[in-house]
Amino acid sequence: MTELRWTLRALLSHYWRHPWQALFLLSGLVAGVALWSAVQVINAHAKASYEQADSLLGAQREYTIYPKQGTSIKQASYIKLRRQGFTEIFPVIEARVETQQGMLLSIIATDLFALPTESGSTGVAVAGDNRAWLDFIQPPYQAWIPEALANQLDLIQGQQLLLKNGDLLPPTVIRSDAQQGWQILLDIGAAQALLSRDTLDYLAVGPVDDERRQALEEALPASLSLVKNQQALNLTQLTDSLHTNLSAMSLLSFAVGLFIVFNAVRFSLWYRQQTVKNLRLMGVGLNTLAVALLLEALLWSVIAASAGLLAGYAISLKLLPTLGSMMDGLYGAKMSSELLLKPTTVFIAWAMTLIGLLFALSLPMWQVSKQSVIHGSQLSSKWRQDKVSRKQLGILSVMLGLAAALLYPFIDSVLMGFVLLGLILFSAAWLLPYLLASGLAAVSKVTPKQRPLLRWMISDGWAQLPTLRTAMMALLLALTCNFGVETLIGSFRTSFTDWLSQRLTADIYLREQRPEIAALIAEGKSTGWLSDTHARMEMSTYWQNRPADLRGLVPTAPDTQTLPLAKAIPQAMQLWNESDHSEPWILANEQVHYLAGIPLGGSITLDTVNGPQVFKVAGFFYDYGNARYQFYLPRQMLLKHWPQARDSGIALWVNHLAEGEKNTSMSMAEKAMLKAGFAPGDWITQSRLRAVAMDIFERTFTITLAMNTLTLIVAGLALLTSLMAILQERLPQFAGWSALGVNRWEQLMVILIPLLLFVTISWLLAVSLGALLSWLLIHKLNVMSFGWSMPMLWQATPALALAVLCLSLVLFSVAVTHWRLRSQLPKALAQLGSTG
Amino acid sequence: MPLLDITDLTKSYAHAEGVTPVLDRVGFSLKAGESAALRGESGSGKSTLLHLIAGLDEADSGVIHFDGQAIQSLNEQERAKLRRDRLSLVFQQFHLISTLPVLDNIRFQAALCGRYDEMFEQELLGKLGLQDQLHKYPHQLSGGQQQRVAIARALLHKPALVLADEPTGNLDEQSSLQVMSLFKDLVQQAGSALLMVTHSREMANYLDHQWWLQHHTLSLLSASDD
Repeated sequence: MTELRWTLRALLSHYWRHPWQALFLLSGLVAGVALWSAVQVINAHAKASYEQADSLLGAQREYTIYPKQGTSIKQASYIKLRRQGFTEIFPVIEARVETQQGMLLSIIATDLFALPTESGSTGVAVAGDNRAWLDFIQPPYQAWIPEALANQLDLIQGQQLLLKNGDLLPPTVIRSDAQQGWQILLDIGAAQALLSRDTLDYLAVGPVDDERRQALEEALPASLSLVKNQQALNLTQLTDSLHTNLSAMSLLSFAVGLFIVFNAVRFSLWYRQQTVKNLRLMGVGLNTLAVALLLEALLWSVIAASAGLLAGYAISLKLLPTLGSMMDGLYGAKMSSELLLKPTTVFIAWAMTLIGLLFALSLPMWQVSKQSVIHGSQLSSKWRQDKVSRKQLGILSVMLGLAAALLYPFIDSVLMGFVLLGLILFSAAWLLPYLLASGLAAVSKVTPKQRPLLRWMISDGWAQLPTLRTAMMALLLALTCNFGVETLIGSFRTSFTDWLSQRLTADIYLREQRPEIAALIAEGKSTGWLSDTHARMEMSTYWQNRPADLRGLVPTAPDTQTLPLAKAIPQAMQLWNESDHSEPWILANEQVHYLAGIPLGGSITLDTVNGPQVFKVAGFFYDYGNARYQFYLPRQMLLKHWPQARDSGIALWVNHLAEGEKNTSMSMAEKAMLKAGFAPGDWITQSRLRAVAMDIFERTFTITLAMNTLTLIVAGLALLTSLMAILQERLPQFAGWSALGVNRWEQLMVILIPLLLFVTISWLLAVSLGALLSWLLIHKLNVMSFGWSMPMLWQATPALALAVLCLSLVLFSVAVTHWRLRSQLPKALAQLGSTG
Repeated sequence: MPLLDITDLTKSYAHAEGVTPVLDRVGFSLKAGESAALRGESGSGKSTLLHLIAGLDEADSGVIHFDGQAIQSLNEQERAKLRRDRLSLVFQQFHLISTLPVLDNIRFQAALCGRYDEMFEQELLGKLGLQDQLHKYPHQLSGGQQQRVAIARALLHKPALVLADEPTGNLDEQSSLQVMSLFKDLVQQAGSALLMVTHSREMANYLDHQWWLQHHTLSLLSASDD
């Protein structure tokens, strides 16, 4: 024990004397853990949310009562059922309102007194004083707003939120009920007053046994149907790919962090090799040394995991609102607003840090054990070692590359896709030292012999290469991912914008069809502001155990005729419009093709009121941003097979030719709609819809971009650490050069020129590798994750932006080197040739 | 029985250009408490011989017996224990732990083998003039002071054998003589044997025997040989 204690003391005293090295080691570890744990916390939180958040107002309910036609249920139907003794049912309204700032908020409303009394069955915290309940259900009512959302909206207790249409929400009551997610809870009466309606969206059914269900089904009026609820299960399924994506990104950040840790560990052992040598000379055995280093790793892992988890928690808190609204927009999944750090996440984060550290320690420790005590490690032997390890890494790189090539034809899942990406990235990272050395050799060869100073500066790269190579690998990974993801997002943004332009051709979208619509259309046609309409119908169903939407389109409507198809059989639209086939043609979204594997012309079977019906797929349409399966049928066909299909709003095309000098067609249309009895919230304009869609799109990639940027910062830190290590290690050499008359500028050039060369090679490789990465992300992983296809659009801007970033990083590092050199060189000069 | 007994020790280094012989069937012995100087030209293999005795390197053939035990038969762990408990090494480059203060450096090896003698420590510190330097770090000391710290560390646990490789090589002539005189006295006081590599005849004259290493073989020098 004494031996171990003294050995540990000697080893750790190094950090006490060199706190910067401790800081660098810690920052690599903390950064890696923080990014990984942030995503872990979010993923764990999301999964827990899916299980419980939708239990708010009984989404965990087994059944829901929907209207067979239209989108709402008359309040009288609900009251009648309650009077019949069905106290398990309670009314729900779900709506979206827009704030003055353009933020969309989800509102969920119910009658608290109607909630089933079994605890936990509805998710609303029903305990509490009766006064709070009364205030909630009586005018002026209350808006129960989750704390995180209230903070986001800058709302204080009692304040009324002003909406875009000028309405006010009831007074705010800030709640810390995690199950509420990001939704605002209102009393049903308050919601009806706010939305100017007296209907309900659906009736939720609390726990019922088979007998009771049957009784309820029999009691239902013909206009309502009882539907089994499968939402909770499906949210987990639907969001699975997204979480795999996030996990992969976090693991990549962890891998970059590992490279940095490997670098830091290597340096810390390199700096302490004299101490290690002294310890061994004094009789400290390799075993004791190994145990001491392991204990040191354990200590670091505890510190780093704690700090990393704290940082990760802070990051996840920052990312949670973005993710919450993204999940809501994309999947309709509600995430709770309160983040919980589970003990398992803490343990896994610590275990991963320790494993990462041990992994990073294993090679340097093996080298220490192999290293001769008497011969030590001269710089020349370090170069020789570097040449050997370059070769070994090169062989490993080729092996990984081969494995990737062999794996490529067999990728059939998102996970496998990420394994392939990992193989490619690590293959490239391990090839990098070889490429850097080759680049250095090539540049050395072409440098004119008449420029001895320049030749010296370039040749010094050989001395820097062993120290810089790991940092370069980390930088390569970060640059590659950044470029790859930027290209993916750029390609997606362009495709998405083009697609929106093609899909959203109508000027106004009315959310529901009401009897007043006929008068509105007649008025529009007669006054000339209306050129066309498209009244669509929809039906929700299940196909292959996942939620699916059926849409009934009017074949002659403008947007049906210009519907962009990703793949189609010849004369697809014509065939689709023919209804006299025993197996009618149907249009399906790309998700049906890529996620469910249905080929063009393939058959799908859907449950209709007349039993299972086989359809053949005439074409696949693009459907970005939709996580559900969707099918398009001619409106009449939909009604034939699903008479209970609901109206899903109507699209209006405004006649811009009818515009007067003062009155635009849009303003004429808006006036007409108001006159016909529609409220401003009942319709949405094309530009607003497009803005909402783009907003959801941008949010979808906010996290990915944030993770990428953080990874890049971490990689930059690694480069800086390495340069500091070079400086520390070679300070006597710099002092020697100073003594020979080499000025400060020339000394900086010695650092700058090889570094520029290395960074340029890394950037070039990152750009080509990033292009490959984005190709795989777009054509393989994106398709497998979401079922969306798009063309890859390569742009020079992200590559140039990264070049500027690299240059800034190099210049910053050199500036820091210059500063350190200024402060340390005088001391090193004073020690030149000194023997005491 | 001699403390150190070396028989037919042979060592060579293989490299790309061929094999360089260093020691060829070298043999000598040293009794407990005796001191000997190992002299020879640069690159004659003096340091290699010291490293072989300390178990830091492997001989091609031959036997080194320390206190009756063949060093070749010991594994890495046992050799480390031997260095820690029975031997001490003093080098020209001091090999102090730069991140620990002087006092911790001095006590380090004694703490490792659990043979710490406070009285002897005080005596060593007094004789070596280190009392005022105990809380300084090695880089804050002169070369002579650092070597005194290395000597104190090497002797505090009273090893059976001290192996010194040019211990005064980094010091000026006057400091060298002072340190050497002290070193010899303290080694005697600790009851240790001393084998010291040196170029200096003057330093060698402080010791009981002198061996000359030339052409890979060892020969005993008599007073008239110089």
